[in-house]
Amino acid sequence: MFEPFTDVVPSFFGWLNQGPLTLTIFLHTVIILPMIWIYFQEKKRLENEN
Amino acid sequence: MASKYLTGTGSESKQLATWYFTFAAILFGAQLLFGLVAAIQYVMPGFLYEILDFSIARMLHINALVVWMVFAMFGSVYWLLPDETGIETIGIKIGKLLFWIFAAAIVVVVLVFLFVQVGKADATTIWLITEGREYIEAPRWADWGIVVVALGFVGNLFLTGMKGRQTGIVTVLMADMIAFAGLYLAGMFFTDNISVDQYWWWWVIHLWVEATWEVFVGAIAAYGLIKMIGAHRQVVEMWLWIEVAMLFGSGILGLGHHYFWIGTPEYWWEIGALFSALEPLPLVAMFVHVLYDWGKTQGSEEEKGNTHSVINNKPAFTWFVLNAFGNFLGAGVWGFFHTLPQINLYTHGTQFTSAHGHLAFFGAYATILIGMFYIAVQGTNGIKVMKNTKASIWAVSLITGGMMGMTVALTIAGYVQVIVSRAQMGATWAAYFDGQSGMWFTQAMDWRLIMGILIFTGFIILAKDLLTTGKNPVHER
Amino acid sequence: MANKSVWSDNRFWKRTATWVTGFASILLIWLTFDTSTQIAMGNDQDLQNKVTKRVPGPTVINYKITYEMSPKRGHEVPIIGGNDGKGNSLFQEKEKFFGRDDYSEKEARALLHLGKLGSQAKNCMDCHTLLGNGAYYAPDLTKAWLDPAWGPNGAMQALTGKNTKEEAMAEFLQHPDQYPTHARMMPNLGITAKEAKGLVAFLKHMSSIDTNGFPRNFGKIKGAVHGK
Ligand code: HEC
Ligand code: HEM
Ligand code: HEM
Ligand SMILES: [Fe+2]
Repeated sequence: MFEPFTDVVPSFFGWLNQGPLTLTIFLHTVIILPMIWIYFQEKKRLENEN
Repeated sequence: MASKYLTGTGSESKQLATWYFTFAAILFGAQLLFGLVAAIQYVMPGFLYEILDFSIARMLHINALVVWMVFAMFGSVYWLLPDETGIETIGIKIGKLLFWIFAAAIVVVVLVFLFVQVGKADATTIWLITEGREYIEAPRWADWGIVVVALGFVGNLFLTGMKGRQTGIVTVLMADMIAFAGLYLAGMFFTDNISVDQYWWWWVIHLWVEATWEVFVGAIAAYGLIKMIGAHRQVVEMWLWIEVAMLFGSGILGLGHHYFWIGTPEYWWEIGALFSALEPLPLVAMFVHVLYDWGKTQGSEEEKGNTHSVINNKPAFTWFVLNAFGNFLGAGVWGFFHTLPQINLYTHGTQFTSAHGHLAFFGAYATILIGMFYIAVQGTNGIKVMKNTKASIWAVSLITGGMMGMTVALTIAGYVQVIVSRAQMGATWAAYFDGQSGMWFTQAMDWRLIMGILIFTGFIILAKDLLTTGKNPVHER
Repeated sequence: MANKSVWSDNRFWKRTATWVTGFASILLIWLTFDTSTQIAMGNDQDLQNKVTKRVPGPTVINYKITYEMSPKRGHEVPIIGGNDGKGNSLFQEKEKFFGRDDYSEKEARALLHLGKLGSQAKNCMDCHTLLGNGAYYAPDLTKAWLDPAWGPNGAMQALTGKNTKEEAMAEFLQHPDQYPTHARMMPNLGITAKEAKGLVAFLKHMSSIDTNGFPRNFGKIKGAVHGK
């Protein structure tokens, strides 16, 4: 399941770097998820304004 | 709207803008001349050997590039501030004083580069002659001068933005310009550790051109669309926010594409590859946005039965459209070519990089800033509708055609280096010259020089066109 | 406008832009802390204790440096003081640098400092690339210390009339215009003997930095086309 760590110094980001995509999928997800929350907040605001 | 702000004559801010633009245009010419010297040295290595060596010519070439763009960017902000905020720029007297300090400092730095060139290996050289780090070679004393000038500029912008009407464009510019100025500090220290050195050096270079400057271009393009074709502000500003999200979202961590091989950990391969691979997306968006708004405003005029063009400044708009496309092509496509580590391992530090560097800087920045020159010329001469002239068309064709030709030549040269020097011969000193002496490489260098001469000719015509606009009767006043 | 969509609402995009920018910046700062500790320069103690650093301490100039394949990493890595056969450094084998292999931490640091200053004062980066960054008019210097041309079988020691790599390099750097090997020559930059020694130390140290395998196959291929 987990790839052995090969870089010189172990680190959190190095550990997340499990294959070609794991690290950036993780980072992109944390960036994009809160946008959903922003979306619904704004939606509510627009509805209240009407 | 008070028409006095629309012309350069009534507004001190706009007057200051024209000073910035003029100095920028002169430096642009100097940039091209030193580029030609460096290009000649590739073809004739003895040219100015030990008089004005390649390193000095190149340093002047790229420093003039960065400085003229910064000048034109400051000028653009001073130009659009009164239009956007509806008031005269606050603290403009200090702004004018800072302009002269800035210009004088640049002249001194250039003279030192030209005539002192190198120094002893000590701190005095770093403080007084050169810091010897590509693009930001200016000595430390000048760094501090630049910081002071930039603070003054940001101060003008903030005071005006807070007192006047705070549009979306002004808000974005305020946030962007403070980051732009702040990043410069990352390039102002010395370290023995070359990996640490390069780590922070890229903060300045990459986070400028692929984050803060790109957002600046987004804001200027938004302003230009409102100004030149009367695009709807609400729509334009929505696009601007989307662009900011996409540009910063990809560009900030896209910095990782410079951390593949400088001693930094392997996890940057993945972060750099994937975030920077997304960088072209906002550039596509910006291109679509410009063309879409143009078509939309023109279409709605035609529905009303008007057949005239909605564009009130043809040469400027031409450069803005070229910007939208050139940004996508030079930064987006040519950048993407070499942004994955598997490819960058071989293209890193070859003429391929140079091909991308040229088309990106030209497509993303030179174009739109030349467009701003035209907007300023229109304003200061009180022109209502500015037409294309023979000269403006020749200038844009020669410069753009020359840049494309140069990019193709450099790309071919880059392939030779990648295949011969890097892949086949093992990247050594001998391998390097095996690549340099190949026929495809040497011919590419000849073509680069020829294209450079075309570009310079185009520049002369551009200067002539800008300077004679005031007297040209074809424009509607 | 009734039922305005969130997707065409400026405030939604403004907040999104703010969030994305802020978070990407924070991530970058976090990554910068992580990377900074990894690329901080080591010291003599690390070399004594056989600790592999991405950027070894300056006393690495006392050791023999090579650039060899690491099966674990999947690319070449700098090997300091001999290879354990698995691509790891042994930190044993020394190599004389201007006649000595016992530079103290302080001496080595001073040499490296002089060399780094020299590289900036003379603008090496506006002709050469260092770690692949800079100008493309002259060869990349990342692994110049390991270039076969400077080695016992290369041409440069004989050309400069010196018996060691470091002396040949220092001689060349002081008078590059006297030892041209190509029409495109390096100019005389007024480099003194002392500065040259510092620059060579700087180049030797740079060759020991772990660049994740750049440049690939350095010096290993003698030419797939010409040398078959
Ligand atoms: C004006 C451009 C220029 C500058 C500045 C310059 N070099 Fe060079 N350098 C060259 C050229 C060109 C060659 C190739 C010479 C040849 O093959 O005949 C070269 C060759 C070399 C070599 C041998 C190539 C190799 O791979 O080992 C070394 C080492 C070197 N330079 C180091 C330096 C250092 C250190 C500096 C800064 C102090 C420096 N150079 C500054 C142009 C320059
Ligand atoms: C307007 C935007 C851009 C400008 C002005 C620009 C300019 C440059 C310049 C001048 C360099 C060379 C730096 C040096 O001297 O070492 C460079 C390098 C690079 N750029 Fe860009 N760039 C832009 C956008 C992009 C984008 C969007 C990408 C990727 C999709 C990209 C990918 C790269 C890469 C990977 C390198 C490193 C090349 C190497 O390893 O040698 N760039 N860029
Ligand atoms: C007359 C036209 C021009 C000529 C002859 C020319 C020539 C050159 C040469 C010879 C170099 C050195 C490359 C090397 O190290 O091998 C260079 C670098 C560079 N030039 Fe130009 N140039 C010209 C115009 C421009 C323009 C218009 C721009 C941008 C708008 C530009 C941006 C750059 C940049 C960013 C670099 C550094 C590239 C890198 O490090 O990758 N140049 N140019
Ligand atoms: Fe970049």
